[in-house]
Amino acid sequence: MNPNLAEEHLQTIRLLMERSAVYRRALAPIMLVAGGLGLLAGGIGLGLHLESAPAFAGLWLGTASVVVTLAFLLARRQAIKDHEPFWSPPTCRVGQAMLPPLLSGLVLGGWLILPAAHWEMNVPMALVWLLFYGCALHSAGFFMVRGIKWFGWGYIIVSILLTVFISAATGVVGPSTGNWIMGLLFGGLHLAYGGYLYFTEQKSSAV
Amino acid sequence: MNPEPFLQLDRLIHEKGRLAIMSMLAASPELSFTELRNTLDMTDGNLTTHIRTLQQEGYVSVTKSYQNNRPLTTCSLTAAGRQAFTAYIDLLEQIVRQNKPQ
Repeated sequence: MNPNLAEEHLQTIRLLMERSAVYRRALAPIMLVAGGLGLLAGGIGLGLHLESAPAFAGLWLGTASVVVTLAFLLARRQAIKDHEPFWSPPTCRVGQAMLPPLLSGLVLGGWLILPAAHWEMNVPMALVWLLFYGCALHSAGFFMVRGIKWFGWGYIIVSILLTVFISAATGVVGPSTGNWIMGLLFGGLHLAYGGYLYFTEQKSSAV
Repeated sequence: MNPEPFLQLDRLIHEKGRLAIMSMLAASPELSFTELRNTLDMTDGNLTTHIRTLQQEGYVSVTKSYQNNRPLTTCSLTAAGRQAFTAYIDLLEQIVRQNKPQ
């Protein structure tokens, strides 16, 4: 056997083994919680008129923190129930894949919001967050069930289309638009995908 | 070059399709037939044939059950399968090492 062929074989084996050990915890509960909280936060933002840039940023960063904490707890509970380690190699890979886009979105969002005092920057900030969140989901999709990649693409495409539409149209953005966008897109899309997963997701779990 | 390691390679695992199945099963406690088929992009017939061959050799065990009233076939490596796969990898590494400049 040609040694180069042997090396190629080994690389293929490694690739297949990595692909096999995908992150397959049940995502439906996490998506449903994220969706419910997203819609709730949107409702709070609209109801309490949290429209100034700091209030808007505070509301949605707070919501994101709660969602991340609950997602962590839900995944950990599943791992304990299945007698498996929470911080498994696929979990590490998912975390590593999501971190750069999420951090970029956070920094860029902060850079947009810091000099702003009113609501004008809420929509650009929301679109930046959703775009980078979509990128994070897409990256994680390489180590998760394949639907996550499409879910990520959904955020990316909707964010780009909305950016183009809002840039071209005049008078469509108001003080509450940011909360509408975040509520409907962050909350609504998670809820829809969570509902889909609830009925289709395989109940078995592994690493 | 010493041809010995190559001659020792397990012919059953060396086949492309079966090697892919063994690689995937080696990294996971068990995988469903559907997961294997989708990831490896194989036809049902092709995958069934390979799994049957591996099963006959005692490398893979197949479990049939029901999930949500639907049949579920799951595959996993047996101890013999894991041992054969490890030996196969060791031989491949030996072939690669042989050709590396000292």
